[in-house]
Amino acid sequence: MDKQVTYSGMIWLLAAQLVVMLPFVFHLPFWLLPVVLFAAGWRLWVLAGGAVQPGNMTKLLLVGLGIGGLLLSGLQFPSLEAMSALLLLGFAFKSLEVIRRRDAVVVVFIGYFLVALHFLYTQTMLAGLYGAFSLVVLTGAMIGVQQVVEEFSAAQNVRFNLRLAGVILLQCLPLMVLLFVFAPRLQPLWSLPLMVDQAKTGVSDHMAPGDIEKLSQSDELAFRVTFKGERPPQDQLYWRGLVLNHFDGREWRQFDDAYDLERLKYAAAHEYAFHPENMQVLGDPVEYEAVYEKSGQPWLFTLTPALKVDGEVLQAADYRVMAAQDVQAPLLLKATSYPQSLRDVQLDPYVRQLALQLPTGGNPRSRDLAQRLRAQAGSEQAYIDKVLARFREQQFYYTLHPPTLGESDTIDGFLFTTQRGFCAHYAGSFVFLMRAAGIPARVVAGYQGGEWNAQGKYLTVHQYDAHAWAEVWQAGKGWQRVDPTAMIAPERTEQGLEAAVQAEGSFLENNHFSTRNVAWLKGLRQKLDAVQYGWQRWVLGYDGEAQMGFLQALLGELTLAKVAVLVGGLGGAIVLAWLLLLGLARRGEREALEHQLYRRFCALLAKRGVVREAGYAPGAFALQAAQALPTSAALIREFTQVYEKLCYQPDADGQAAIKRLKALLRALK
Amino acid sequence: MGVAEVALGRRNIYIIPSKTALGLVVIILLLFLLGVNFQNSLVYAVSFWLLALLLLNIFYTWRNLAGLVVTGVGIEPCFTGEKAVVEIALACPAKQPKFALQLAWPGQDALQVNLATTSSARVKLSHGTLHRGLFRPPRLQVSTRYPTGLALAWAYVELEVQGLVYPRPVAQTFAQTGEHSTTETEDGVEIAEGSSDFGGIRVYRPGDAPKHIHWGKYAQTGKLYTKAFVDYASHALWLDWQSLPLQGVEVRLSHLCSQVLAFHQEQRQYGLKLPGKTIAPGKGEAHKAQCLRALALYGVDDG
Repeated sequence: MDKQVTYSGMIWLLAAQLVVMLPFVFHLPFWLLPVVLFAAGWRLWVLAGGAVQPGNMTKLLLVGLGIGGLLLSGLQFPSLEAMSALLLLGFAFKSLEVIRRRDAVVVVFIGYFLVALHFLYTQTMLAGLYGAFSLVVLTGAMIGVQQVVEEFSAAQNVRFNLRLAGVILLQCLPLMVLLFVFAPRLQPLWSLPLMVDQAKTGVSDHMAPGDIEKLSQSDELAFRVTFKGERPPQDQLYWRGLVLNHFDGREWRQFDDAYDLERLKYAAAHEYAFHPENMQVLGDPVEYEAVYEKSGQPWLFTLTPALKVDGEVLQAADYRVMAAQDVQAPLLLKATSYPQSLRDVQLDPYVRQLALQLPTGGNPRSRDLAQRLRAQAGSEQAYIDKVLARFREQQFYYTLHPPTLGESDTIDGFLFTTQRGFCAHYAGSFVFLMRAAGIPARVVAGYQGGEWNAQGKYLTVHQYDAHAWAEVWQAGKGWQRVDPTAMIAPERTEQGLEAAVQAEGSFLENNHFSTRNVAWLKGLRQKLDAVQYGWQRWVLGYDGEAQMGFLQALLGELTLAKVAVLVGGLGGAIVLAWLLLLGLARRGEREALEHQLYRRFCALLAKRGVVREAGYAPGAFALQAAQALPTSAALIREFTQVYEKLCYQPDADGQAAIKRLKALLRALK
Repeated sequence: MGVAEVALGRRNIYIIPSKTALGLVVIILLLFLLGVNFQNSLVYAVSFWLLALLLLNIFYTWRNLAGLVVTGVGIEPCFTGEKAVVEIALACPAKQPKFALQLAWPGQDALQVNLATTSSARVKLSHGTLHRGLFRPPRLQVSTRYPTGLALAWAYVELEVQGLVYPRPVAQTFAQTGEHSTTETEDGVEIAEGSSDFGGIRVYRPGDAPKHIHWGKYAQTGKLYTKAFVDYASHALWLDWQSLPLQGVEVRLSHLCSQVLAFHQEQRQYGLKLPGKTIAPGKGEAHKAQCLRALALYGVDDG
């Protein structure tokens, strides 16, 4: 038979290719799309008879150019991105030579693969829906390249195939879910360089003036938290991420040197290791689950100190909790924190040294102020209070747009000249004043507060909740959190409401101020977010552990037999449902019944001498039989009428018709 | 011949995954590995979805044959070596349209049919013939890969029809000895408007063949006259097996066959004598068919 792909089949294929490749535009070199369009256009032109089939040399040249282009685009080899780009290129050029049906099927299969590959870049619900749509189009294309129904117009063909593909995939859904839930989740077999989207978002490991202000302009989601028990009060929600120990006169960093992830891991296992025994656990636990958005960085944000932490995470001497790798896909963490605990009752000398570091010179006025105030204060606590009081009583302003401070003596500049700043300014200068007076202190970066989603009963923390505060160590009290920003602007007031409305979500008072206060809009947004969070927790976060938990909750103690019975039962039910849906279980018998009756009718007439030739239409046969057997003519005619009606108009009342046929048959005997 | 309408169903439909399905299995495995390695739920989902598609498709392909009724309607007679054209009726239950049905005899013609808009159709499919006699087509293979090509379903159908295969018409040349039987040439019944024997001249009527116009008379009178011919039944030609100076059954039959066709073409009156069977002289389509049938079935058990 003709195995060539027809013009309409080719159009199917090209449409499917476009649908599949479109989302990659956001992740891969942009020029790939025009290349695809070019290849598709050429192919169509060839099919329409306007151009010649490209020769082997031309194809070779094109492939060479494509690979050269990829190399020049700065893709790393080998990496996932390079693989996707190569696949896409092949996918595009394949359409230059698609001729036979088998090649077309290969294109569809590569398309299936690419749909899945795209999920390595993004796994949002939207991406999921688009992926499902792509699968429908690809399946439609697979149907379309197999055959064309000449009886249908082109538009009808498209509609019919798409609908069929959609229906088939919809009917596949239950089995897919069954497999998704029950198929064993294996551990990764080998590690591939995953170079997906290197962009880093969120709080970073250094803090220069202006960094957090920039972050606060973003209303992107940072993470969501579900509490097991009661939610702590809003002003206690300090999501602690990293500790910035080192001040170089301008910027706060973690250490005196740039530490990459590997070095951090090493430090966390050695000189900077976590010592839970230094902690005195007090108060009630707070249990929660957080799902962190992809950030490209390893920082996780928890209420401190977090004691029980599930999953592959690192903890260090400063009570931080970190992911073992950069967070490239949503990450779920279960933790239990004891916020009232005392941390570092005994201060490790290395940590103390880090917490007292100051640059050798600079900021003389601030140092002088610290000396003066410390001398006046009777105790460390009194000194701390004095510094905080100074922030409160002097003309300090909290602003998203602080004046620039120059390159040196930035603390002096802020404390004595501009007196306008954001949380980073207050935390930085506060820690500077502490250290200048010999009190161990450090800057902590993370998020504060969050928006409560009443629909889904969880907390969403956005980038504009980014915050910096301080921790001070005192003998007997350990590390204590001090937030100087709260002294100056308990409601972060200077920025007007209007500006906040303008830059949606940029203004971060205690979130009571959230500009998105239009009630119904807020409800809608929260509902949507709740759905997305559910997606993230139950779909994306469904790993081996979650599977265990779910199955145990479902079946109690897990045994192979129990799982097998359940899966077998559900699988059987699905297959049965398929048979019913496709009309294979039921309709076959009914059809057989009326045909059986007609056969008996023919046999009866044959006995009386009227034999029906094979293929003789029932109507014509009825005429012949009625002529031959005038006494039964009426019966024969009616039987044939009812039978034909049953065959050709099944909407008629089938049961009654069958009954009538039986009655007529009896009468004929 | 009885009624042989059997709908395709559980008993007679076979189904296997096609080679294409193997390709998809490879893709599914690759995706599963990808899902495992990147611990990516959605990649898992795609892999499982395709697996479900592979399975469900088997039911769809199966359904595309189920309920189909394939019946042989008849076979047009043909000459040995020609292709016998078999007419086949297809019917499917309403609301279950069938697509891309492939009808084929292995090594013979194949045909693709849709029952998309109507629930019945008649198609013609041809099959080569090798022997004279009654031709019964072998089991017809009805197959489909619809919708996705991932599975192949097929069934074999006995068509329960037979057709006549006439001998191959091959004329032999030899001395024309006994073709015209001369023993029965006494008075016969005149058959007017014949073409064999000259019967007189009559006035020309429009429609008369030009070759029958009496040109001599025209030259004399300036008016058109037509030569009238008559046929005599007694002048009929006999095709006689016995009198053929030929060897071999098939050679004789082939020759007779060609003669029948030739005489029919010439609209002549002819009779056929075969050992054990004599067909009285006659003419016309029905007569030709009767003669050819006798030739086709000579020495063959009439089914």
